[in-house]
Amino acid sequence: MTDNIKDLAQLVHDARGPLNKISMNAELVKLVLENDLPKEKALQALQAIIKNCQDCSTHLQAITALGKASK
Amino acid sequence: MLNVLLVDDDIEFTDVASQIIEFLGHTVAAVQNLQEARNLLEYNQFDHIFLDFMLPDGSGLHLIDHLTQTGSTSYITMITGHPSVKGMLAGLCGPKVDYLLKPLQREDLESALNRKSSKRKSTTQHTGPKRHFGCLIGESESMRNLYTMIERVSQTSANVLLMGESGVGKEVVAQAIHSASKIEGPLVATNCGAMSKELIGSELFGHEKGSFTGAVAQKKGVFERANNGTLFLDEVTEMPIDMQPNLLRVLETKKVIRVGGTSEVSVNCRVVSATNRNLAELAETKVMREDIYFRLAVFPIDIPPLRERTSDIPLLAQVFLSELNEEYGAALKWQEAQLQRLADYEWPGNVRELRHTVHRSFIMSDMQGSDVALPESFKSPFAKVSKQTNSISAGQTIEDVEKQLITATLTKVDGNKTLAAEMLGISTKTLYNRLHAYGDFDD
Repeated sequence: MTDNIKDLAQLVHDARGPLNKISMNAELVKLVLENDLPKEKALQALQAIIKNCQDCSTHLQAITALGKASK
Repeated sequence: MLNVLLVDDDIEFTDVASQIIEFLGHTVAAVQNLQEARNLLEYNQFDHIFLDFMLPDGSGLHLIDHLTQTGSTSYITMITGHPSVKGMLAGLCGPKVDYLLKPLQREDLESALNRKSSKRKSTTQHTGPKRHFGCLIGESESMRNLYTMIERVSQTSANVLLMGESGVGKEVVAQAIHSASKIEGPLVATNCGAMSKELIGSELFGHEKGSFTGAVAQKKGVFERANNGTLFLDEVTEMPIDMQPNLLRVLETKKVIRVGGTSEVSVNCRVVSATNRNLAELAETKVMREDIYFRLAVFPIDIPPLRERTSDIPLLAQVFLSELNEEYGAALKWQEAQLQRLADYEWPGNVRELRHTVHRSFIMSDMQGSDVALPESFKSPFAKVSKQTNSISAGQTIEDVEKQLITATLTKVDGNKTLAAEMLGISTKTLYNRLHAYGDFDD
């Protein structure tokens, strides 16, 4: 059981990684729009956001799986 | 412009962070592990280093050791995904080491680079409740009405009378009116209740040198000092009634004569006065002359007591707590249930009492932890008086009132249930049934 909690903490930690990148890329998009920077930068950042949302979802899936296993 | 180093094995992250930091006007280098960082640091100086906790070849803390040994002057910000890590860092880190929690925002980077105390500050600034007119907090219906009134009256030069119970924040509202007026003069506050009868004239209107024993120099009164600004007369109803004609004269002529003086001095200020009595009391008790009332209360404003805007209690509690956190460098947080308890209480001493309670709880709490130690009971010596006068208000259920009545009756007869039942006009059995239903009464 304690192992499970440890795993859970690790998985939550891992999920923060993509979340962090989503946040930073969103900030970048904001900067681009506010300052009329090249559109490509914003598109790149948005692409990164989409990808990291998928990554984040994978991590959440793993957490759910852990939850089921411990029942 | 700062020279910034990012140490993180996540290239996607260093990429986007570099772009943002560059945009903020700094130069950035990024490395993926401790070894690369050490190599780079050998020949380069960095003003600020953003450091990940877990790196492929060891912990970010090793790099801090390395930097301390080499006598580096860099500021370091650790980036961590573990909220729990911060406690450990707080003990270990000197003034030059800070931390940020993922997910990061641009403001976090900015404030870290400006060396403001990082995360806490930015969260209170950005997610904290809005301060209307720079000082008022609350989003309830009654506060919104208040904001509208302040907004409107600030556009005019009308005198305002603030009415509200003790502790609702009358001085804060006066401050709000003053700031919203955008006038150049100062806000001068004086408490009419605190002045002795002999000196009240001198305080309000000033005096000339030698006009009475102790008047060793000329002194300007509050009206003169508040010229082109706002004069706040707190507890105006405590002013002796025989002084009020003098006040009336100033309000009507906009000129003061200093005590012992002969010449008139023109004054131009808005008078915001305050009283903790309500309209009915004013009429009843005759503490204020009618002519003065109409001069002062060109625009009367009622400030709602805290119990009529319970939805603002959590907001205020958050603000008070984050102010204390800021001051003492703590990171205490409310729990949902605690905020609910605060919101359920009546707060007869209003915002002042709430602030006091938060402060007291803060002192009782463990500063290293995150839990606030809220006291078992919020009772204060002043609570009972107002509770009795205000025990029934709209919004209470019949059950609540019934419970209150039963409690009060039982207290009155020292817990004698037979006597209490008789006074309440119910049978003893019914009384027992009720008490059992409430559950928190002992037999």
